[in-house]
Amino acid sequence: MTGVPITGCGVLTAAGEGPAALAAPAVAAAGAPAVRVDVTGLYEDLPRPTASAIAGFDVRATLGRKGTSFFDRATALAIVACGHAVRDAGLDLETADPARIGLVLGTTTGSLGSTMDYSRETLVQDRPYLVNPVLFPNTVMNCASGQAAIWYGFKGVNATVAGGPLAFLQSLRYAMNALDRGFADTILVGAVEEFTPQAAWAAELAGARPAGEAAAVFVLDRHARADGPALGEVLAVTTGFSPTGGPSVTETLTGCVRRALARANVSADEVGAMATGDLPGETAESDAVTTVLGRQVAHLGVGDALGDCRAATQAVALARVLAEHRCGDAPDGGLTVITGRGADGAVTAALVRGWRDAGTHRG
Amino acid sequence: MSRVVVTGLGPVSSIGIGVTAFLGGLRAGRSGVSPIESFDASGFPHRHAGETKDFRPEAVLRRLKPEAWGRSSQLAAAAARLAVRDAGLDPGGSWTGGAGAVIGTTSGESQVVELLVAQQLADGFAGMDPEAIRRLPAERLAYAVAEELGLTGEALTLATACSAGNYAIGYAYDCVAGGEADVMLAGGADSVCRWAHAGFYRLGALTERECRPFDAGRSGILTAEGGAVLVLENADHAAARGARVYAEVLGYGVNCDAGHMVAPDEDSIAACMRIAHGNAGIRPQDVDYISAHGTGTPANDLVEARAVRQVFGDGAPPISSIKSMLGHTMGAASGFGAIATALAIAEGFLPPTINWTTPDPGMPWVDPVPNTARPAEVRVAQNNGFAFGGNNAITMFGAVR
Amino acid sequence: MSQPAGHLEELREIVAEVLELEPEEVADGGDFVEEYEADSLRAIEILARIEKRYKVEIPQSELNEMRNLKAVYDVVARYAGWGE
Repeated sequence: MTGVPITGCGVLTAAGEGPAALAAPAVAAAGAPAVRVDVTGLYEDLPRPTASAIAGFDVRATLGRKGTSFFDRATALAIVACGHAVRDAGLDLETADPARIGLVLGTTTGSLGSTMDYSRETLVQDRPYLVNPVLFPNTVMNCASGQAAIWYGFKGVNATVAGGPLAFLQSLRYAMNALDRGFADTILVGAVEEFTPQAAWAAELAGARPAGEAAAVFVLDRHARADGPALGEVLAVTTGFSPTGGPSVTETLTGCVRRALARANVSADEVGAMATGDLPGETAESDAVTTVLGRQVAHLGVGDALGDCRAATQAVALARVLAEHRCGDAPDGGLTVITGRGADGAVTAALVRGWRDAGTHRG
Repeated sequence: MSRVVVTGLGPVSSIGIGVTAFLGGLRAGRSGVSPIESFDASGFPHRHAGETKDFRPEAVLRRLKPEAWGRSSQLAAAAARLAVRDAGLDPGGSWTGGAGAVIGTTSGESQVVELLVAQQLADGFAGMDPEAIRRLPAERLAYAVAEELGLTGEALTLATACSAGNYAIGYAYDCVAGGEADVMLAGGADSVCRWAHAGFYRLGALTERECRPFDAGRSGILTAEGGAVLVLENADHAAARGARVYAEVLGYGVNCDAGHMVAPDEDSIAACMRIAHGNAGIRPQDVDYISAHGTGTPANDLVEARAVRQVFGDGAPPISSIKSMLGHTMGAASGFGAIATALAIAEGFLPPTINWTTPDPGMPWVDPVPNTARPAEVRVAQNNGFAFGGNNAITMFGAVR
Repeated sequence: MSQPAGHLEELREIVAEVLELEPEEVADGGDFVEEYEADSLRAIEILARIEKRYKVEIPQSELNEMRNLKAVYDVVARYAGWGE
């Protein structure tokens, strides 16, 4: 079966800008240490002086001053990543019908920094309502997708998926459905997560890995010509939930991977790689994938190198997979299974194909 | 594509918990507005909201341990539990295999955020409670529903602000229509919070104690909360088990203003209505009733009324706003709108816009069903939802043919 | 007390910051909405910053008047008693 073509990718992580940075050995090698930068100049009150944040990200330098000075980091990162994806896809926004371009972004809580700061103002100002009205929209979780839609004029379906570590594959599923049902011809789909003191402290106190920062956005184009340029294609995205007392998380994930293969009408031996949410030392997801495939395949994770990018984790994983095909050693047209699991029993899986040379070869 | 029907309703609202109480509230034009108790509102000039003060999570929830979940998750799970009960679905029955939950929200676990802020102010960031941090992620609203009901299908939280309930219903409709699932729980949930109250006040968009949509003297919203969940079911699946059917889901429309984060856009809203009508396969003249977004701000109601005029011409059907009774329940709002719409179809009446005294000369074509519920045959109805970020979503419902 | 010109320049800075402009880009008669893409949120924030800076209370109903820098000055002068 043919999937939905991915025609562009924009990604920013602590490793740098663009997908190639994700395939570099310093990030991609198994057991690569975390890429960390000094963040003491960014914020005052942090649990650690270094973090996997996007060094030197300056929205004013990138997008200009007008219309940007009240953006939070998540919104600014999303807009910049969308811009990279649009350019990478060669999407001409001057000629495209804006009503047929959609945007779906994944998040955990929106900008926790914006929201907590806003709530804090209601307690520390002379009167609780002396808050800045211009910052109020930053407190809604769809701020990044709404502002990006305004910035680029995307008037089609616009959705924000709150999915934490699964947010990107959930967003991808939402986007695939929206394309399938004709709500748009082109959808930018991605996820963004910002580095703020709130995020850093929340990770620290919850005993999670140190908070990272990333934004990755992909262009899905339902009507991309079969012989046109594409980085890859999404063949299937599946999801399930493992409630207490129900099937185990492993069973549920195994079922998701099986369904993804069945939907794509692909046999297990055609899959050459996996990118899972397993952390170094964990094997729950890779075991599930291996069970379905019946053999070991290459693992294309970014491990611990970029910190905990939460909602952006799987988006970074897809960018990394595509980068391996585009500028690494992964075979042209090769298939990869991407998986993830959340804290409460939710799991997702996707089957994607990567092309080497923007689709000049097609199997 | 399979037909999709509404077989269960689960409102947890300030005018009633459960479908019987909620229906009674709609018919009576009851107001759920009261002095704020969930946070200290003494510093605000306006101190009323639509809190669900009668909500006792432990009285409704059977599997979920309330202490491990935030209030919005509790509201979502309780609403879903009530909807399943109303639908006559066997708890833990085979239907739960592959059934899913899609929940919309504006602010997720906003009361958890505010708890963390209080801890931060008292003891610095290091004083934040790790258990509270675990209750924070907004994805847990849908997971709470799945956990409460033992569902193994898709669990998805859509955070498209104040139209999120309709986004959820639309997506769940596609899941059932496309054969992904036979049963989906869909709707929205949000909790009253201090920062939203402050923000809306600061915008000049918060009224003092009576929300008066479409009235010439309307002066803003009232913040509110609740959980609103519907059971969407494959029509054959529902028929096979002899389920009572409230209404059929005909389709939906979504689009984005891409103009301003806060100010609504007439042309874009009109376009969204046309998308919804096209998706549902109906014409404007088929629509007998519109459940308005109707927030009660001067701008929203005028823009919404003008968009209706654009699409319906001189034939605009009655358009009422249940926010006059509930206040603005944010991500749950269009979920409540959908429940009210399904009840309007099933019970043959139009929910009123209460607190209405004076027609707005700027929108003479609007019949807001003033103050008193009205008997009416409703064959096709439209449920509007608009949002910050320009995220418009409109769901369409019809009488069972 | 600062001179009227001093107040005007202070107001120009406040307006410029909220409207994301350089102060010299804000002309005395330049319409906030038409020329500088202001919206109601930014107008309210301009009002809020002025209230904080000069410790005055100006009702939001005055926002309709405050369409350009000169008009803002006139409204603020009235409430702050600058002309007296």
